[in-house]
Amino acid sequence: MAVTADSARDQELLRSSTARFLEASCPLSEVRSLLDDRHGFRPEYFQKGAELGWLALLVPEKHGGGSVSGRPFEDLALVLHERGRMLQPGPVAISNVVACAITEYGSPEQQEAHLSALAAGRSIGTWALTDGGGDWAPRGVAATAVDGGYALTGAKDLVLDAHIADVLLVSSTMSPGDQLAQFLVPTTTPGLTIIPLETLDLTRRLARVEFSEAVVPSVARLGVDSDAVAAIERQLQVAVTLLLAETIGSMDRMFEFTVQYAKDRVAFGRPIGSFQAVKHLLADLSLLLEASKAGVSAAIGAVQDTDTGASEVISLVKAFVSDSAIELAQGCLQVHGGIGYTWEHDMHLYYRRLAGDSALFGDPAWHRERICALHRL
Amino acid sequence: MEPTADLDSYRERVRSWLAKNLEPTRQPRVHRVRGELPSAEHLNRQRAIQRKLFDAGYTGITWPREYGGQGLTAEHRRIFEEEAAGYALPDFAPLQNTTYAVCAPTMLAHASHEFKIRHIPAILAGDALWAQFFSEPNAGSDLAAVRTRAVRDGDHWVLTGSKVWSSGAMLADYGMCLARTDGSLPKHQGLTWFAVPTHAPGLTIRPIRESGGGEEFCEEFFDDVIVEDIDRIGEVNAGWTVATTMLGFERSAGKTQASRVGGPPGDLPADLVELARRRGLTDDGHTRQQIVRVHVGEFIQRQLGARIVDAMATNGAAGLASYLKLAEGLFTATRARITLELAGGSAVAWRAGDSVSRAAAMTYLNARVRSIAGGTNEMQRNAIGERILGLPREPSADRGKPFDDVIGQAGLS
Repeated sequence: MAVTADSARDQELLRSSTARFLEASCPLSEVRSLLDDRHGFRPEYFQKGAELGWLALLVPEKHGGGSVSGRPFEDLALVLHERGRMLQPGPVAISNVVACAITEYGSPEQQEAHLSALAAGRSIGTWALTDGGGDWAPRGVAATAVDGGYALTGAKDLVLDAHIADVLLVSSTMSPGDQLAQFLVPTTTPGLTIIPLETLDLTRRLARVEFSEAVVPSVARLGVDSDAVAAIERQLQVAVTLLLAETIGSMDRMFEFTVQYAKDRVAFGRPIGSFQAVKHLLADLSLLLEASKAGVSAAIGAVQDTDTGASEVISLVKAFVSDSAIELAQGCLQVHGGIGYTWEHDMHLYYRRLAGDSALFGDPAWHRERICALHRL
Repeated sequence: MEPTADLDSYRERVRSWLAKNLEPTRQPRVHRVRGELPSAEHLNRQRAIQRKLFDAGYTGITWPREYGGQGLTAEHRRIFEEEAAGYALPDFAPLQNTTYAVCAPTMLAHASHEFKIRHIPAILAGDALWAQFFSEPNAGSDLAAVRTRAVRDGDHWVLTGSKVWSSGAMLADYGMCLARTDGSLPKHQGLTWFAVPTHAPGLTIRPIRESGGGEEFCEEFFDDVIVEDIDRIGEVNAGWTVATTMLGFERSAGKTQASRVGGPPGDLPADLVELARRRGLTDDGHTRQQIVRVHVGEFIQRQLGARIVDAMATNGAAGLASYLKLAEGLFTATRARITLELAGGSAVAWRAGDSVSRAAAMTYLNARVRSIAGGTNEMQRNAIGERILGLPREPSADRGKPFDDVIGQAGLS
């Protein structure tokens, strides 16, 4: 899809202002200092990101949003790429997923209640989908109709930034029956317990959320009955694509500093990158990176244009990039040798991030099986 | 940028001409089985279609008018490719790519005006098909080490030596031949390209029987073959620059056509699904994963193709084609392993006429063609490492030394 010269300039402005801001306010030294922080990011950082438009791109103008190019997913992917390069903390991608869901499926009242706050970063949203059993389907929580609303019971796992979120988008089943439904649940709702998890990726926060007859009013239900299946599918596509935009940034940066290391590190009287054993490994990783970038572009395009084939495209790309990310991470560690195994070196932060991203919103095997199902094999 | 109206009317013209003059493709193009060379009748039919296209002005769409092309934009070519997708275009395989995607573009970039006047129109008309006389028994990955000699004698050159791995040379009208014109210079500096008619006296062309039984490749022996100086391509001793251009075209040949890049995922690989069905394994988790691995690889290669085509159009870096070549080299081997695995015993022994099983066996035999032919995986990795990533070169034992001394010291002369 061709963008006009004006849009391209506006996108570049968004990208470069984001990159400059990250460089100045949240370099890796700052990311490190936040590793043990309870929240995982600073509120003023999130506010400034919101001012740059990070949380408003998928939201309509009347609710304080707007894209810079008319192709909001491309715009947002540029921001997320820069964030991924520097392992940025905070619920930017996932809050956008929730804002997008409310924009596309929410009632006028829900849009009024949530969108301007989400777009401005005053409110943080996250999505509770899986029960943690490996299936990224709406399992684990069942909703029962009660007087004036619904009571939610069960547990969700691997919920991004739940500890700091204001509103949970909960994908559940209805009980009795197996119909799907979604609810916008304030994290202050009684009966809701958020349990922070220990994480492999030290730069992301994940939580388990337990629901014990947590009651929400009828108006908290997102969309009408028939919408839930399509909405959850669309949310998955959006979540996978936004996550991938960050993943590809992390892969890009990790590979960049690894190539530099291969040029700088001297052994046997010459840079190690001159040895074919190292050079060829880097060439293979470079191919994986280029192919991953090509795939992510296709995913962004499919989600932007709501292609009928988007379900399959995002799964094809997630499967490929997740496998490639792990291979790239291990290869980059190998090129660094022992130094990459130290706490002080930034290597492990990227190494951890890529493994986390590979699993979130579906590991490669899950997406491959999903593709079989899409083809009715 | 062409006005849109012009492009639209061009598309209309193409569409109506195609509908009147070409046959629709009867079935989706299938992968040709390696080694089965087209018959003379087949080639003549293809030449007739090529001539029709040439006469109507639909060949060499972006090539200069003075050499028989149309002098139009890449946008016009893309429109033609899109419109022609459902029609039976000429298929000179294996000489299709060597003639139109490798040799001719290289000549356009480097040959003299007189040379191009003499040869390019005949190529566009389908009268001259070209093979590459490039590799030698002792010059494969180390291509600059060719030893076929060309010695000047007045207004012609005398070639002696041998070439190998020339696809389809038995069917070609010309070979584009790299020869050493000065052995006192370092390896890369004493090389020159020539156009050699395949019927030239002293030139012997023999097919090479491949491990799969086919005979697509040939070897050539040059026994004082005379080539006129007007059939020289590029400057004397400047052949390596030409070779570099050619290698770039060779890596991307056929992989950057509009019909082969980007696009939706399409069906699961039908051959693998069929193999799984036959063995009752379509519900087997591992089998399903393997089928989709291949599907993912095919989709991602097409997306990579689109990305590389865009990048080459933007910054003209032909070195990027190494990514496509390496991707194909690696993926073909992986696909062959998975095919063999899903076929099980049926790829080892099958009833006569069982083409599915036989195809699985052939896929295994040909698993490494794409990772060796046209530049090995290792050479692509060197190119990516050195030219794209900027990693330092390995020290080499022959750099800067006269080539005659190099082969003398190695005891090879």
